[in-house]
Amino acid sequence: MEIDKKEVLRYLGYKNQKIDKNITDLIDICCKEIIDICSKHSVYEIFDIERKNNQIFLLGSTLVLKDKDIKDLLLGCEKCVVMAATLGAKVDSTIAYYSRFDITKGVIMDACASTAIEYVCDEVQDEIMKNALKDNLHITTRYSPGYGDFAIDNGAEILNILDAYKKIGLSITENSIMLPRKSVTALIGLSKTLSSKKHSGCADCKNIDCEFRKDGGFCE
Amino acid sequence: MVGFVNKKDLVSKKINFNNFLLFDGAMGTMLQKYGIQRGELPESYNVLHPDIIEKIHIEYLNAGSDVITTNTFGANRYKLKSTLYSVEDIVGSAVRIAKGVASDKLVALDIGPIGQLMEPLGTLSFNDAYETFAEQIKIGAREGADIILIETMSDIYEARAAILAAKENSSLPVICTMSYQDDGRTLTGTDPITMVNVIQGLGVDALGVNCSLGPNEMLPIITDILKYSSLPVIVQPNAGLPKLKNGEAVYDVHAHEFAQYAKIMAEMGVTILGGCCGTTSDHIKAIKDVICELHPVKRDVKRITAVSSPSLTVVLGEKIRVIGERINPTGKKKLKEALKNNNLDYILQEAINQRDAGADILDVNVGLPEIDELEVMVRTIKELQSVVNLPLQIDSVRPDVIEAAVRIYNGKPLINSVNGKDEIMDSIFPIVKKYGACVIGLTIDEDGIPNTAEGRLKVAERIVSRAMEYGIDKSDIIIDCLVLTASAQQSEVKETIRAVQLVKSTLGVKTTLGVSNVSFGLPQRGILNRTFLAAALTAGLDAPILNPLSEDMMSTINAFNVLWNKDIASAKYIDVYSSFEGKSEAKEIGTAKDLKSIIIDGLKEEASKITKELLKTMTEMEVVNTYLIPSLDIVGKKYESGEIFLPQLLQSAETVKKSFKIIKERMMSSADKKLSKGTIVLATVRGDIHDIGKNIVKILLENYGFEVIDLGKDVHEDVVVNAVRSGNIKLVGLSALMTTTVRSMGETIKALRDNNLDCTVLVGGAVLNEEYAKMIGADYYAKDATQTVKFARKLFKCE
Repeated sequence: MEIDKKEVLRYLGYKNQKIDKNITDLIDICCKEIIDICSKHSVYEIFDIERKNNQIFLLGSTLVLKDKDIKDLLLGCEKCVVMAATLGAKVDSTIAYYSRFDITKGVIMDACASTAIEYVCDEVQDEIMKNALKDNLHITTRYSPGYGDFAIDNGAEILNILDAYKKIGLSITENSIMLPRKSVTALIGLSKTLSSKKHSGCADCKNIDCEFRKDGGFCE
Repeated sequence: MVGFVNKKDLVSKKINFNNFLLFDGAMGTMLQKYGIQRGELPESYNVLHPDIIEKIHIEYLNAGSDVITTNTFGANRYKLKSTLYSVEDIVGSAVRIAKGVASDKLVALDIGPIGQLMEPLGTLSFNDAYETFAEQIKIGAREGADIILIETMSDIYEARAAILAAKENSSLPVICTMSYQDDGRTLTGTDPITMVNVIQGLGVDALGVNCSLGPNEMLPIITDILKYSSLPVIVQPNAGLPKLKNGEAVYDVHAHEFAQYAKIMAEMGVTILGGCCGTTSDHIKAIKDVICELHPVKRDVKRITAVSSPSLTVVLGEKIRVIGERINPTGKKKLKEALKNNNLDYILQEAINQRDAGADILDVNVGLPEIDELEVMVRTIKELQSVVNLPLQIDSVRPDVIEAAVRIYNGKPLINSVNGKDEIMDSIFPIVKKYGACVIGLTIDEDGIPNTAEGRLKVAERIVSRAMEYGIDKSDIIIDCLVLTASAQQSEVKETIRAVQLVKSTLGVKTTLGVSNVSFGLPQRGILNRTFLAAALTAGLDAPILNPLSEDMMSTINAFNVLWNKDIASAKYIDVYSSFEGKSEAKEIGTAKDLKSIIIDGLKEEASKITKELLKTMTEMEVVNTYLIPSLDIVGKKYESGEIFLPQLLQSAETVKKSFKIIKERMMSSADKKLSKGTIVLATVRGDIHDIGKNIVKILLENYGFEVIDLGKDVHEDVVVNAVRSGNIKLVGLSALMTTTVRSMGETIKALRDNNLDCTVLVGGAVLNEEYAKMIGADYYAKDATQTVKFARKLFKCE
């Protein structure tokens, strides 16, 4: 696994300040440690889509999609990938440890882990894309509960249909907090035509006070 | 609390664990055959389609299963909360369906994981997990299940809660399996030896492994389990690893191949077989055909003396194991202060320091007359286990404290201690037995400490034989032959050494000693301690209790391990000492900078030394006001203006913290103790577990001289109310990071108001803003930690 240091810096709110070697060294150490302790696991399945009563049904599952943004994403798609990924519990306990006894390292480890879970999702997405291409299908961008108007409580149902606790140890609380913390659930559409729907980044996002909001970047 | 339900007469059908026992295969895979959708509640079929469940049971019975498993994997109150069904509906109907078709075969009540992460990483407490399992078990037992099968556990703490619930609420045989990943550990990090060491002692009837892996991948894990388990071993593999076919996960190890693996496992010594995900009645039929030609294999089991944390097992006897003695208030002024002031961070730091110095096990004693020992012990054990991964030694003279601590302990603990007195043995051994702990036995009885080695052996013999009457294996006893002080009983010092030899050779048990007792009352105690330690190690001492921060002690052990051929190729010795001199030299250079620039540059290693230097010529408050506060102000401004970013701010904050530590220690010993600028309560609200932001606020507030009562994360509003009331707190800081948990932030504020507590509430967190903060009734919103500090300084009129 590789952790993109630029991304780590972005999570840390870095805006071109002058930084000493001790901070860059620390970031290197933290990246390495996250790679060492993470136990990445992912699971996904692909469902056929049926559209009925202005809702999208994933056939053979109980998942029904009603929110506008997710329906937009799946416009023209015939299948939908349901995925979940996690870095595992040790990342959580290690970050909790540092955030108590070495807060600088805790904060940097947290940013490294956030970058790492995106990397894991990219890997899964890549695999999905390659397999889809064999069937002449194209993928949309990855879309998670909590983006746009796609309600955050969809996370629980995604984990349920994937049996994610049993398969990858990923759980979710009543308040839609995934545990282990560094985890992602997402949907990806599969369509015969190349998707026109790209992630539009901050321009479309309703969280206008977000500190990560900036040129073309987005915040997941 | 000690004692389980009496087993006699209550077992409805005789279960023969001496022969092969064949379980069934997957329920979910069969349900898929009958058209269940992904995401549908499998347990709902007990009510909606009992005919299908019955059919599945019959298929397995026809295939040859001796035991069928109820359709109750997820039938717990957490999973059923959002459904139309109660635990009573689901578990009751499931057992009735299975019993209806089982005739002379057995029905196992299936208990799967709750599906929520347990504390400290998650929000599910040990007691809640226990209650959840107990509810299922009471119903299942009442309806007539024959066995309780606790399965697919990843978290050994959860498995432990389930086993205790099963033992305390039924008299049925209990089987427990855990699921492993291909790295040989469960998802929460438990390895096979740890599983066996922890679970075997809890009184289960069989243990083993299921799910996650196919039969081939399970073989190395099974090998490990068979090596250590003196109980029957159960294996229920998946039908291979899942492969994605047409977007769906499929398992492709077919019945014949599966049965060949079952044969290999049976020949290795496994006696209970079955299948998990992807297996069907075909797989079970194939196993049946294979094992009817086999006989159970007798195994050689390795009995070890070992204690465990959830992911680390420390085996005594292989090499010298150090038990760190520093978490004990006797003669330690700072620790006493910390215990009285609820300063857990100090205790945790002691644990970290000992771990880093090479301790293998940590003794934990919090006995002070002026505190509630039981409550503090339980909290300390929980906190320690969330921070260090070492097994703990629970040290108290009170049996109720020992039991409470052992009950919530995650792993297999060491209890300190029993002795030869009847009264003590009769109160402690039942706890040792019930919770499967190890225990230290002191060679002292009603007549005191025998003078001779032979006398101490006699006491040790009594302890061991009494333990065995309680069903405790000898391997779970560690004998302490007791060290006498050279200043008072010089002639008897060497009797202890002789006793270690005698006890080991006669009883074959492991030994421990509190080494530094030998030097009480004499100067240069380190010299005596290390020499005595060397002698005791030579006599066969396995686990000295000592101060791991003492270089004298640790170097003696490192040297002994080389000389006694335990540190193979002197690897550890070379690692520790080859660069030893270089390191201490490096520490000497580069302290010429002044404290201000050290803080601004965030050079935390240098802060303590230069602070000490400054305190030679300045008062504590002068250092604070001349250096610490002005530097913090500069750093804060730089952060606000964007000249530095968060990690730089934090490095400076940690540098100040180091300085402050020195200053606080000085002030504790001097008469002038007025350093605190005010006390602030901080909490991450109920339901939220994000606490990095809160921790950042905490360190900055402390930097500015505020005292912070950190209530932690997922804090119930009652806890906040109590803390504010009892401390007469004027400022409360609440943190929430999710839109979903801002609600409980509002409820916390309401609780404070409803209780008429005159405090200001400041809120922060990524999803909050000024407007939102007002809506939930907060007094102020702080966008980051520096703003919180500014606000606090204004409120407490520090500026």
